Amino acid sequence: MGNNKELILAHSAMKHITLSDDVNVMLTPQFYTLKKESLPVSYAYQARKIAPSLFDGLLEEGRKYDYMVWKEEEEWVFLAYDLEMIRSFLERKGFALEHISKLFFAQQSVDLLAKPLAVGENSALVSLDHKAVLVPRTALGEEGTLAPFDNSFTPKRGVVLPGAHGSLFNVKQTAVLATVFGLFALMFFVEGWRYSSNVEADEAQIQELLEAYPSLSSKYTRDSIIGKYKTLDARERKKREIIKTLSGMIFKGVTLTSFDMDEKMFKVAFSCKDAQVEKRLKALAKKNKLNVSTVAESNDVKIEGAL
Amino acid sequence: MIWKKYQNELIVLFAFLLMFAAYTYKNMQISSQAEQRAGANYSMAEIKEVIALKKIWSDKKTTQKIKKLQTLIPESKVRWSSKSKKLTASYKGLTASELNKLVTKVLNLAVEIQKLKVQKTASSYDVEFKCKW
Repeated sequence: MGNNKELILAHSAMKHITLSDDVNVMLTPQFYTLKKESLPVSYAYQARKIAPSLFDGLLEEGRKYDYMVWKEEEEWVFLAYDLEMIRSFLERKGFALEHISKLFFAQQSVDLLAKPLAVGENSALVSLDHKAVLVPRTALGEEGTLAPFDNSFTPKRGVVLPGAHGSLFNVKQTAVLATVFGLFALMFFVEGWRYSSNVEADEAQIQELLEAYPSLSSKYTRDSIIGKYKTLDARERKKREIIKTLSGMIFKGVTLTSFDMDEKMFKVAFSCKDAQVEKRLKALAKKNKLNVSTVAESNDVKIEGAL
Repeated sequence: MIWKKYQNELIVLFAFLLMFAAYTYKNMQISSQAEQRAGANYSMAEIKEVIALKKIWSDKKTTQKIKKLQTLIPESKVRWSSKSKKLTASYKGLTASELNKLVTKVLNLAVEIQKLKVQKTASSYDVEFKCKW
C-alpha cells in the first residue's frame, strides 16, 4: 500500500528538504495527540463521532482538528491532528505539497518500534506502553542501539492532505458534490426507467387486443376493413338520421303520403291539413336543412335530397 | 501523477457526467415515450374502431334478426323473399302503428338499405323494402 514511495519521518527539528518525487510522510507525536479508550462501540464511524468529546480540554482552542480512529485489541485508539498546522510546517520545511502522497502517524507503526528509531540528532522514537513517544537519546543509555527508518514503516492507512494537489474541492466538498450528483443521477435514471415501462404497458395492452383478434395484427388488413366498413357505416347512419328527422316532422295535421329512399336519394311527400300546418312543416324542414318544395294549389309539401 | 493531482475534480466531474447521462436518458425516454404512446394510442384506437365496425356490420346474428321483420307483421300482409344475404320484402295494408314498428325495427338493424318505399293508399300503407348485409 504505497510503500514503494519513500517514507520521510517528519519532526520539528528536521532540516529543510527539496523533493523531486512523490513521497509519503510519517509524523512524530509532535504533530498529534493520542488517546486510548475502551468504549462500548462496535464500529469506527461510531467511535469517530464521539472523538471530539474525548479530547475536550486536551486540545488547543481555536484550531480545527481531524481525527483518526482504529481499534487495537480491546481499546480504541484516537488521534487528533491539525492538518493546517501540519501543512504549514511541511511547507516551511520545503515539502512541495503536490509531492506528498499520504500522511501517516508514528503511532500507526508502533508495533515496529521494537528498537528505538533515530529522530534528528538528539531524539529517538520509542514505544512506551504501546505508545509511540519521542525521548531524548540520552535517556536511552549506552545499550540503546538505533534501528534504521525505511519504507517498511509505511502503514496501510493514511491521510491525504486536502488541497495538497491544488484541488478546487476538498474531500468534504468532493463527497457532498459527488453524492448530490449521484443522487440526481439515480433519480433521473429511475424516472427514465419508469417512463420506458409505461410504454411497455401500452404495448402490452395492444398485444392483448391483437391476441384476441389475431386477424387484425396486420395494418394492411385493418386499413382494408376500415376502408370497407367506414364508408358503409357513414352512409347507413345518414340514411337512418334522415328517416328519424322525417319521422319527427309528422305531427298533428301532417300525414305521410309517400316516402322513397334508395342508395342515392330520398324523397318524401306530406299532406298538411291547412296552410298554417304547411307553414310550420316548412319551417321545420328548413331548420333541419332539408330541400322543401310546395305542390301547387294544395297544402302538400315535398322534401327531397341526395344521400 | 495527473490522476492524483486532480482526483477530487475528476470524482466530481465523473459524478456530474453520470448525472448528465442519466438526465439525457430520462429526456430520451420522455420524448420516445411521447412518440411511442401517440403511435400506440393511434393503433389502439384503430384496432378498437375495426373491432367495433366489424361487430356492427359483420354480425352473424343479423340473419336471425332480419327474420323478425317477417313475424313482426301479420303473415297475410307480407311477401318475403330472402336469398343469401339479400332481402326483398313487401308489406301491404299496414296500419300506422304497424308501419312505425316496422320502420323502427329496420332502423335498428345493421343492414345496408337499398330501397325503402312507403306509399299511402286510402288509410293504410304499402311498404317495399330491399336490403343486404
